[in-house]
Amino acid sequence: MTKRLDPITIDLVGHALGSIADEMALTIIRTAHSSNLTNSMDLSSALCDAKGRLIVQGLTLPLHLGSVPDCMDAVLNRFGDEIRPGDVYILNDPYDGGTHLPDIYLVQPVFLEDRLLGYTASIAHHTDIGGKVAGGNGCDATEIYQEGFRIPPTRLFDGGQRNPWLEQLLSRNVRIPYQVLGDLRAQIAACHVGHEGMLGLAAEYGVDALEGYFEEILNRTERLARHEISRMPDGEYEFTDYIDDDGIDPGPIPIKVRLTIEGDSLTADFTGTAPQVKGGINSVIAFTKSTVYACVRCVMESEMPNNSGYFRPIKVVAPEGTIVNPNPPAAVAARGLTAFRIADAVFGALAKALPDKVPACEMGGDTGVSIGGYYPNGDSYVFLEFLHGSWGGRPFADGVDGCASTIVNFSNNPVEMIEARQPLRLEAFGYIPDSSGPGKYRGGLAILREYRFLQDRGILQLRTDRYDHLPYGLAGGGTGTPSRNVLVRDGRSRKIGGKVTIDLRRDDLYRHAVAGAGGHGDPMERDPAAVLEDVIDGKISRSHALKAYGVVVTGGRPRIDLEATNRERNTRR
Amino acid sequence: MTAGEIRLGVDVGGTFTDVVLTRDSDLLGAAKVPSSPTDYAEAILDGALRTLGDNDPARVRDIVHATTVATNAILENRGARTGLITTKGFRDILEIGRLRYPRLYDLTWVRPPPLARRALRLEVAERVDNQGTVITPIDGGECERAARRLVREGVESVAVCFLNSYANPAHERLCGEMLEKYFPRERISLSVDVLPQIREYDRTSTTVINAYVRPLVESYLANLSTELGEAGIQSPVLVMQSHGGIVDSASASEMPAQIIESGPAAGVVAAAKLARNLGLERVISLDMGGTTAKAATIEDFEPHLSAEYEVGSQMSWASRLNRGGGYLLRLPTVDLAEIGAGGGSIIRVDAGGSLHVGPQSAGADPGPACYSRGGEDATLTDANVVLGYLNQDALVGGELPIDATKSRRAVERQVAGPLGIGCREAARGAHLVANSTMVRAVRSVSTERGRDVRTYTLIAFGGNGPVHAAEMAGSLGISEVVVPPSPGLFSSIGLLTTDLERHLSQTLIGIVGEIDAARYSTALDGLESRARRAFKSMGHPWSAVETKIELDMRYEGQSFELTVPAEGATASALRKAADAFESEHERTYGHRAHDSRVELVTLRFVGRVKSASAGAFTTRAEPPAAPAPRPAYFGRGGDYETTEVVTRSALRDSPRPGPLIVEEYDSTIVVPPGWSATCDASGNVRLVSAGGAA
Repeated sequence: MTKRLDPITIDLVGHALGSIADEMALTIIRTAHSSNLTNSMDLSSALCDAKGRLIVQGLTLPLHLGSVPDCMDAVLNRFGDEIRPGDVYILNDPYDGGTHLPDIYLVQPVFLEDRLLGYTASIAHHTDIGGKVAGGNGCDATEIYQEGFRIPPTRLFDGGQRNPWLEQLLSRNVRIPYQVLGDLRAQIAACHVGHEGMLGLAAEYGVDALEGYFEEILNRTERLARHEISRMPDGEYEFTDYIDDDGIDPGPIPIKVRLTIEGDSLTADFTGTAPQVKGGINSVIAFTKSTVYACVRCVMESEMPNNSGYFRPIKVVAPEGTIVNPNPPAAVAARGLTAFRIADAVFGALAKALPDKVPACEMGGDTGVSIGGYYPNGDSYVFLEFLHGSWGGRPFADGVDGCASTIVNFSNNPVEMIEARQPLRLEAFGYIPDSSGPGKYRGGLAILREYRFLQDRGILQLRTDRYDHLPYGLAGGGTGTPSRNVLVRDGRSRKIGGKVTIDLRRDDLYRHAVAGAGGHGDPMERDPAAVLEDVIDGKISRSHALKAYGVVVTGGRPRIDLEATNRERNTRR
Repeated sequence: MTAGEIRLGVDVGGTFTDVVLTRDSDLLGAAKVPSSPTDYAEAILDGALRTLGDNDPARVRDIVHATTVATNAILENRGARTGLITTKGFRDILEIGRLRYPRLYDLTWVRPPPLARRALRLEVAERVDNQGTVITPIDGGECERAARRLVREGVESVAVCFLNSYANPAHERLCGEMLEKYFPRERISLSVDVLPQIREYDRTSTTVINAYVRPLVESYLANLSTELGEAGIQSPVLVMQSHGGIVDSASASEMPAQIIESGPAAGVVAAAKLARNLGLERVISLDMGGTTAKAATIEDFEPHLSAEYEVGSQMSWASRLNRGGGYLLRLPTVDLAEIGAGGGSIIRVDAGGSLHVGPQSAGADPGPACYSRGGEDATLTDANVVLGYLNQDALVGGELPIDATKSRRAVERQVAGPLGIGCREAARGAHLVANSTMVRAVRSVSTERGRDVRTYTLIAFGGNGPVHAAEMAGSLGISEVVVPPSPGLFSSIGLLTTDLERHLSQTLIGIVGEIDAARYSTALDGLESRARRAFKSMGHPWSAVETKIELDMRYEGQSFELTVPAEGATASALRKAADAFESEHERTYGHRAHDSRVELVTLRFVGRVKSASAGAFTTRAEPPAAPAPRPAYFGRGGDYETTEVVTRSALRDSPRPGPLIVEEYDSTIVVPPGWSATCDASGNVRLVSAGGAA
């Protein structure tokens, strides 16, 4: 490309791409059947150029940010020379382009007559994919074969003809074929929207010119990313965080990262991280990379377009055979947990480089709850949701109470929608007082959720963590509180493990506390007025105010005893 | 309408209060006065008296009012001290909301404070299930204790929202009765009255918003009537609602949550009326002012409504995927895509070499560089000055002098320099980038629903809409643009063409074919009798009311619904509606689910008394003297070319080809090359693209 491209047209093409990607994602949200897609938006859309490079991603989920390149590689490896108009490829194999089995990827080539313009792709997390546990997120599988229906890169449409066998195979292998096929249809519709959009661009700008613009869009993004990284202080920053265990073998499982910032490039090296584990929480390399990309992006100030130009200055080193780059047939279904912990570790390291920007440890979406079984008439039901806690205290503000993880931004399921559809009644959903990591800026509160089971039989399957290794504080801030699981049966409550599969009976109550987030800064420096506000709102108790913050709150109507507070704080300095 | 009746349209915005005065189909006067936020009535009265002139105030038949008073109360935290009574175990529903944060990768977000703080959110033990069966009976004594505690806490307004109350309102009603011992009835908002619909956060948030703004809106409207009355204007004040219909002050006071998006709705309703007059079945309206641009779709002369709206959500992204930043209102609202692109939007170039327009704005003060009020940033208006689209000496019909050299300097320094291109290319680039962000907004309200925008007509208004309309339409593949007379006052004029409307709804979930038709008709009868009462109290006989039944339906298992019309309350009407749903689903999303059952979720009942206004007004304003031609730049490898500048009155029904600029008091219409302009008998300028899609 010797001719200088018009800089404005590059912007216009970039806007148009963003618009198409948005439309694709909205198409899935509006037409999908499962609430995991429509409410939680566990999906992404993408357009790639003719070489398969990501040129735009319609992101509702930051954690999908790096997952398209590996998928495209897998499709091109398998079909490279035989790609033709009317094809649609499907895959979900985490060892061949996917990240875990419930995430189904569709890729459709875009042709203008015989010329390949690029690809349109959609990713959606399906509510069930078969396997030993409903919901496809079991962490008790020990090999991928137990985790469900595995699809290598395959043609779903062959030259415009639907592959009927594949749909039949899929529907025979999942518990709720009607929902899975409905969601798959939504993905096909999204790819169609992307296909038409890209053809529209070709008509407007011309096929040859478009290729040049795509290239320059990637280059620009690379420049922007390098500019951002070059503003970070050079150095090596290390951090280790831990997963309690994998539900099978005793833990802990260290996730160790060393970030090297050198000029305008950044390397995240996971050497020293635990070997792959038996339980299903191994994170394939594509997912590990995605997580690193999402975290680094959070500390950048520019509006960064979502394309592969952004990945260029960022290198991820993850030794094979570790929990962050496992070899088959390691089980991977519940790898989301590991991604949250990878993020905690990467943010921990970034905090050393950028102490004014990075929050203390959040409580992300560690918790996955699935409840499944059969109604008396033989119909099956599957309930799956991920619970989030709160953000960690920040160098400039408290953590947000009750907020989706910074790397996934899920929404929650309305209680009334759950009750209208599932044999469940929720009996509590809200903050747990005194549960946040203290700090000058405190962490966000822990969250309580209770489920009453209303059928005769069912199975409860949990993916939870942070029993032993708590969300860390920073700059003198305290750690958050542990998570816990309790089962109440016949009036007797008992603690249950963090990663278990247990039978449910009618009227059982399952209670989960998501962990509290870490605090930032010395709690003795917290503004007493902020402590008072929390006491008034019942977010912390008076005794916690005294114990954690050295603030003395008195009176029927709560007020601060400033003198006593100063005395108290002075004795602790 | 009796001949000679005078009406007032009053649109109170953040900066200006627009007042227009009509007699029959004549626009007699208009005034733009600075808003008076401490007492909005002051500016309204000032504007009203100015436009009235010698006319007798007693002859004003009614005043139609769009107001931001409720929105501002929320944004500025000036509403009532509000309490919430809710089901035990769920007092944090309001605060946690949908859990999402509005901007991906943004670690700095702070959630806006809940409108009922945690200390004032009290729980009582009670529970009904999704069928309405009582699981835990409510204890009236516990409600009373809660009420007394709220009184002690100095609470002024109370919301009540229990889980599953949409299926059985009894517990909320009982709690409401207990509350009435301690609070006046108008300080109590029950969710079963405000929004008897499924989804607890949506219902709670909407009810709390209602309670929060209710005392303020009530006293505001009462005060306004009093002050107008003292000036001799004793006519009723009607208020614009977010869905585009108007109601009387009493209803607005009772359900103020309905009037939150009052202002923006007015422009879209005006565009819908114009579309009806011109016989345009598919329209996109574009309202572009100083800080934002708002787009909406209008089909068959009705604006599209969205089921929800977030007050105070950030709109810095053109994408509508990221929400969660504001206060959720689950009420029908004119579906607007709003983006931060207006005349004052700041142009900048990022480190990667990409050009951005907005969402940061220089506002009215300091404003664009050319205003010479100390603004250093290049804005979109500066770019339009450099391009020669705007007058080089003064804007607003000569009232606002500008310095074009400052525009050039700012664009040179902040855009052209960093990009390494010429000043005119840089300005042109900013113009096009602004267009493309608006295109993204238009697409989000149209193609998102499977609509093909190329078959639509664009109606452009607001001070800057007509500057950008034609080229923006071109890049959408739209070949016709309509610019109404007085585009800057279009919204306030639109108020006087609005219908009186009530929208009522009730969730009733069931599979079509299985649902008990009697339950369906009982629920519908309930909605109808509420509507009857409402119109009776507004003084309209039921025979004058047009009614419409709509159903929110979805395929079993989906989480979002589509709204379709229904004929009545019979089983066959339901089946027909289900067919209509399937057609609409196919139209919107490209497929039907042949193996899925159709589920009814919510019944909607709309009552409407049509406005007698024809919706077209003729102005008698004298046109200013014809301006001189000036050089303007339209890109495409050309140079600045001398472009004729005319007034609207110079246009006739024979097309004048572009390039051409039409200057008026409150706006400028740019007719680019390849487009032509005509003016119809009602004074609408029609721009047509010679080649169809640009």
